[in-house]
Amino acid sequence: MATTPKTTTDMITLTIDGKSATVPKGTLVIEAARQVGVMVPHFCYHPKLSPDANCRMCLVEIEKMPRLQTSCSTQVAEGMVVKSASSSVAQEARKSVLDFILANHPLDCPVCDQGGRCDLQDFSHEYTATTSRFKELKRVFQKEYFSPLIETQMNRCVQCLRCVRYCDQVMDVKALAPVGRGTLTEIKAFGTHELDCEFCGGCVQICPVGAITSRLSMYEFRPWMLKRTDSICGYCGDGCQITFQTKNNNLIEVNSTHGAGRNNGDLCARGYFGYHVSVHPDRLTSPLIREGDNFQPVQWEEALELVARRLSEIKATHGPDAVGGLITGRCTNEDVYVFQKFMRGVIGTNHIDSSVRYGHLNGVRALQRVQGTHQWTVSFEDILAADVLLLVGTNVTETNPITGLKVKEAVKRRGAQLITIETLEPAIGAMSNIVNLSRHHFGVNPDAYAAAILGILKGVLDQQAIDPELSTKAHGYFNDISAQLETISWPVIEGVTGSAASAYKEAAESFAKGQKVVILVGPGVLRISGGFGMMMNLLDLLILTGKLTKPGCGLAPLAEENNDQGTFEMGGVGDVLPGGKPVGDREARKALSQAWGRPVPDSPGASLPQMIEEAQKGKLKALFIVGENPRGSLPPSSGIQQALENLEFLVCQELFLTETAKNAHVILPACSYAEKDGTFTNTEGHLQPVRRAIEPVGESRPDWEVFSALSVLMGDAMEYGEVKEIGKEIHNLLPGTRTLGPGPLPSKPDPSAIARYVSSEYKRDLAARYQVPSCASSNSKGVTLTISQSLFHSGKFSLKAKGLMQVESEGKLYLHPEEAARRGLGDGDRVKVMNSLGEMSTTVSFRERIPQGVGVFPEHFDQEIRRLLPYAVDQETQVPYCRLTEVRIEKVTAS
Amino acid sequence: MSRYPVKRSALLPLLNLAQREEGFVSEPAMREIAKILDLTPPQVFETVTFYTMFNLKPIGRFHLQVCKSLMCALVGSDNVVGWIQKKLGIGPGQTTSDKTFTLSVVECLGSCGTGPMMQVNDDYYEQLSEEKVGRVLDDLKRDGTCSLKTGPFMYPQPLGK
Amino acid sequence: MAKYEKILLNNMEQPGYTGSLADYERAGGYQALRTVLKDMQPDQVIEVVKKSGLRGRGGAGFPTGVKWGFIPKDHPGPKYLCCNADESEPGTFKDRQLMERDPHQMLEGMAITCFAIGAQTAYIYIRGEFRLGAKILERAIQEAKTAGYLGDNVLGSGLTINIFVHQGAGAYICGEETALLESLEGKRGLPRFKPPFPATHGLYQKPTVVNNVETMANIPHIINRGGEWFASIGSPPKSCGTRVFCLSGHVKRPGNYEVPMGITFRELIYELGGGMRGDKPLKAFIPGGASAPFLTPEHLDVKMDFESVALAGSMLGSGGVTVMEDGTSMVWAALRLMEFFYHESCGKCTPCREGSSWLVQTLQRIWGKRGRPEDIGVLEELCGNIAGRTVCAFGEAEVAPILSTLRHWRGEYDALIREAQETMPRSKEIPVLTH
Ligand SMILES: Cc1cc2nc3c(=O)[nH]c(=O)nc-3n(C[C@H](O)[C@H](O)[C@H](O)COP(=O)(O)O)c2cc1C
Ligand code: SF4
Ligand code: FES
Repeated sequence: MATTPKTTTDMITLTIDGKSATVPKGTLVIEAARQVGVMVPHFCYHPKLSPDANCRMCLVEIEKMPRLQTSCSTQVAEGMVVKSASSSVAQEARKSVLDFILANHPLDCPVCDQGGRCDLQDFSHEYTATTSRFKELKRVFQKEYFSPLIETQMNRCVQCLRCVRYCDQVMDVKALAPVGRGTLTEIKAFGTHELDCEFCGGCVQICPVGAITSRLSMYEFRPWMLKRTDSICGYCGDGCQITFQTKNNNLIEVNSTHGAGRNNGDLCARGYFGYHVSVHPDRLTSPLIREGDNFQPVQWEEALELVARRLSEIKATHGPDAVGGLITGRCTNEDVYVFQKFMRGVIGTNHIDSSVRYGHLNGVRALQRVQGTHQWTVSFEDILAADVLLLVGTNVTETNPITGLKVKEAVKRRGAQLITIETLEPAIGAMSNIVNLSRHHFGVNPDAYAAAILGILKGVLDQQAIDPELSTKAHGYFNDISAQLETISWPVIEGVTGSAASAYKEAAESFAKGQKVVILVGPGVLRISGGFGMMMNLLDLLILTGKLTKPGCGLAPLAEENNDQGTFEMGGVGDVLPGGKPVGDREARKALSQAWGRPVPDSPGASLPQMIEEAQKGKLKALFIVGENPRGSLPPSSGIQQALENLEFLVCQELFLTETAKNAHVILPACSYAEKDGTFTNTEGHLQPVRRAIEPVGESRPDWEVFSALSVLMGDAMEYGEVKEIGKEIHNLLPGTRTLGPGPLPSKPDPSAIARYVSSEYKRDLAARYQVPSCASSNSKGVTLTISQSLFHSGKFSLKAKGLMQVESEGKLYLHPEEAARRGLGDGDRVKVMNSLGEMSTTVSFRERIPQGVGVFPEHFDQEIRRLLPYAVDQETQVPYCRLTEVRIEKVTAS
Repeated sequence: MSRYPVKRSALLPLLNLAQREEGFVSEPAMREIAKILDLTPPQVFETVTFYTMFNLKPIGRFHLQVCKSLMCALVGSDNVVGWIQKKLGIGPGQTTSDKTFTLSVVECLGSCGTGPMMQVNDDYYEQLSEEKVGRVLDDLKRDGTCSLKTGPFMYPQPLGK
Repeated sequence: MAKYEKILLNNMEQPGYTGSLADYERAGGYQALRTVLKDMQPDQVIEVVKKSGLRGRGGAGFPTGVKWGFIPKDHPGPKYLCCNADESEPGTFKDRQLMERDPHQMLEGMAITCFAIGAQTAYIYIRGEFRLGAKILERAIQEAKTAGYLGDNVLGSGLTINIFVHQGAGAYICGEETALLESLEGKRGLPRFKPPFPATHGLYQKPTVVNNVETMANIPHIINRGGEWFASIGSPPKSCGTRVFCLSGHVKRPGNYEVPMGITFRELIYELGGGMRGDKPLKAFIPGGASAPFLTPEHLDVKMDFESVALAGSMLGSGGVTVMEDGTSMVWAALRLMEFFYHESCGKCTPCREGSSWLVQTLQRIWGKRGRPEDIGVLEELCGNIAGRTVCAFGEAEVAPILSTLRHWRGEYDALIREAQETMPRSKEIPVLTH
């Protein structure tokens, strides 16, 4: 329901078609009816939207009311007597509404993609609308090109405005316009322009008829031919439930059932239009073995035997630690689990790393250190219920769009106060922009987040908004932090962040006053230098204001890849065992080796940056890379290229021939998420089932099967018949952590961990964290360039999704129009971007929301951009930082 | 804009202003207004298209709007269209080749007692006759204005005045 | 002609009266506002207006004092007054005169209303075509502000009352009070469903009163001369006071006539209006704007008050009386009005949106001699399926001309259809569905 759940517990009893219903006050009649099994036909009503009562289909008779009432806009009242199906007047009225709608409807059901799942069809059938007496002219709208992905058939429109309202109320994008007046109103974009929006597909999903349809699946199916498979989206950490619709093993479309999953049936462009990645013609279909500069397709047996032999040889000659493994957070929990078991148990090394290392690790490590659990202590429901939300360095509507929807709903509909520390500035554009909803916005440069966080902390101190119990319970902690903050002067913070002390104080006061406070942190923090320290300081903020252990409050780092959180939990990081315990934990190691019947190595595992170093030094001889592409992700300055070239043996298990795979000796074709079973753990820590929708493409195989087969060939068999057996093994190993329920069970902070932290643990790096890092003050000539995630892409994976490529097919340098103007650059100009590390050429594109002095380039494209990125590694968490740099921009004059 | 607690309320006033300046509401104007009011261009566009006074395309210097609703029709508004057509050679929806006049027929303009009538840009011309229409058109073309415009409105005129 | 005392048009009919502040003050203007600010509590003002029996002059005739009484007293945030100056109902042109000729009268009424309901801000929503009216109002507001009747600290009372003119842009529906609010919020003028009512969730979802220009203009007089005085005029208890009736159509002297409610149509048309043009017989008249069902010569002696007209099967509506002489085709008249309604339907509700295009095309066919015998049944049924099933009262309004002409002059429809059946081959002309 669109309105906020009423806090009042008043219940109201009424009668609907003779059935008694007891519902909370404020419930709409149509909803009360549904609860007692009375389905009132409707078009414009939708539980996600505020009622508009325009279609007049849901008319019911209510005793003591003079005329028919729309049940979608009428609230229940005590003793109300409602007649729907039992009212002949209401039934007549509905019939006449259908009559009116059909009068102007083209009745082109045979060529309509909605045919078979169309409300208009269904109701017409139910109300057997007599053959229309409409003998006049039907309105005919001129067909206009609407967008690359979405098509409109305005002649079919029933003008319920669900699409328009969804785009506004839920998405906050406002890209759709009901144009004109009266019966000639049609849904358009701006002027005669094509649709420019987030392409969430929401309008397609919410249209009750076939007026807005997806071009990707146009005319390809009749709904009843489709096989449905509920699964989880493979793009980001939000973990949306999707339904694959397939026909003869072809992916026809993807959508999400209303109310389904953590996403409540909403999707983003990646989820809705990005599914073709699985069936891209470039998919690797058979194992490949390097022969000179070329790859030769071979049988699985041959490839596997080669891999098994080489790994065994290297292990025998150089020891198990000469082998390293890297796996992607896109794999299922089961894949990751079996992989790390293979590395630890069969090879005998802890040299395992994964995409978690690229940033998410900063989040979970900090959580673990301060609150004893590596998971969120809040859930999406807590975001919705929050009264204060603090977002730091998270362009959430692009990186985690569904989390973004929760934030939008909390702010727009439930009145939460939003505080943002973010590079992007408020500006209306073709995509929603969370800072537009912000009450306290700190627009800081990408390298000044740390200073802004200190500003809030200092504000809390200045406003004396400290948890009163703290000074007694953790006197030393409080004093030390206060002392540290004292050493930082307001002018310094103001100078670095450009925001006034008073603004920080106000925001700090709002924050401290909040009863339910959630902090969301994104890649802007997690993936830049000092990320770990910022996470720690935000946890301090929660402790200082007494919120860390309060229900409904917590710090939530957002996972970028769909299973980053699960990958960490499955031990996909060298020094972490399944369940999140450190490798150094002897008890945990013991338990694990007992369960496995194999020793678990105790030497600490190398991180990816360390493995690169080892390989460069020649100590690491072999790498087994699963679904990762470090050459694509890291800048050349990391030394990755030389490291890969130094290796004696490189195996890549992949969907596509990536930059990294090109260096491999053997390439093994793997299944995508659409072709395998298993589970993903979303950013909230919620475990969800992934289901096979189509048969594996070519000869590709699920990842776990490959590891299992290799173990057999290496003489140390981990045999699993099916993926469920792996699930069971994990379940037995980690009791209580794997519940496939409807929602997550957020973990609770561990009081003993917090006590440890506030008594001594905090001292370790306090001084380093409580310092305003010097920011590269961009000289007037240069701009600060940051790479960032685009809404339409996810890693490099989505570059193979034809729908998404139609929306965004190349990387561009995004600049504020005025910044560009200052440099004499126009939209679409070719430029050279350079610094001491290298140069690249690209095209300029305008974005109002990017502040002056900053340039943004989506990280998915152009390997070239990485040459300009300096590389640094976090001392504490070994997270490689390569997101920010200073560049000069020069216009390329066409020659 | 300070007149309204919510920015969007200034949309119609700004659109009116834009039309005043350019004679129609252009796309750049809509984008500009969207920016001022923190709206998306489609939000401005949908509003523009709902109201009949906004022109999305350039029109003549003088917009002749003849009321065709029943009350004016009873007293001969259809003739007015005919007279104009005869004089200027344009029908409803058309513009003279010199871009001076555009003719539209519109619904009730609130001067039903003094029909037939037409509005030309900001001004009302009421109780029209063929001769009067002729004079109005001539004056407008020549002087850019015409003394036959009416208002402040009072009808019937009090006796003795 | 000076048979009845004029209340609203009195000033402006005085020779030399320009409507300037000085003129208005000379005629006793702004005394009521002084009285109210000096001697009265808001509740007392509302009481006086309730007692006066004043009913809204915009069309619906809702008791004004009662409407004000719905505004929550202890509401913490802002409240608003909106003066409905959209005057778009075909046949109505009184507000235009009240605004252009004596703007301070309504401004004073608005200021008093603001005081009564506790509003600091009021908007005059004036239809976009009334440029002159808007200019005159702007100027008058400026004058009043300078003289201390508006602005901060009105007449030293410490109260703030600001009035702003807001111009529409061509949409009849924006006269409907909730559509007016939407439009004032910068949106498309689509009516909102009720409840909630504007009194609690109006402009910007704040408590709001919407009143017509003429309603507002009455307020100073009621304050000056008392509720009882007003209630004694016209035909009490339900139809108190005078009304400015707008006479149009085939009469000798069309125009605005202010008379006490309760005189007969005959008196208005034949005495004040001087009778029919060319002394032809009267065939039909509309008693209250385009939305009011047509009446016949038989109804000439109906009294012009709310109940009597309702009893006759029509309504007093906005006060626009349009007269049609013998020879006027009622099918054509209904069609002209239907074209208006089709053009103006906002498109929100299915029955109104689709029904209006269906009705207009059917009428066009009948009028174009391409009717079919079954058309009349279809018309009647469609009208039945629209009225009462829409968000706003437009639905009832648009079917009124058709249903009433069908009721009284069905023969004319039959004749046209019969002719169509007889004249073969059919006319080639095809109606085109456009705006
Ligand atoms: C379709 C429609 C059009 C209306 N147009 C007007 C109008 O132009 N002017 C007006 O004052 N009221 C108009 N009204 C009436 C208003 O909704 C509202 O009742 C009135 O402004 C209230 O003011 P009052 O109580 O002073 O009459 C219209 C109502 C409807 C349903
Ligand atoms: S009845 Fe007509 S005018 Fe009124 S809201 Fe519905 S569609 Fe709009
Ligand atoms: S569902 Fe109630 S009016 Fe459309």
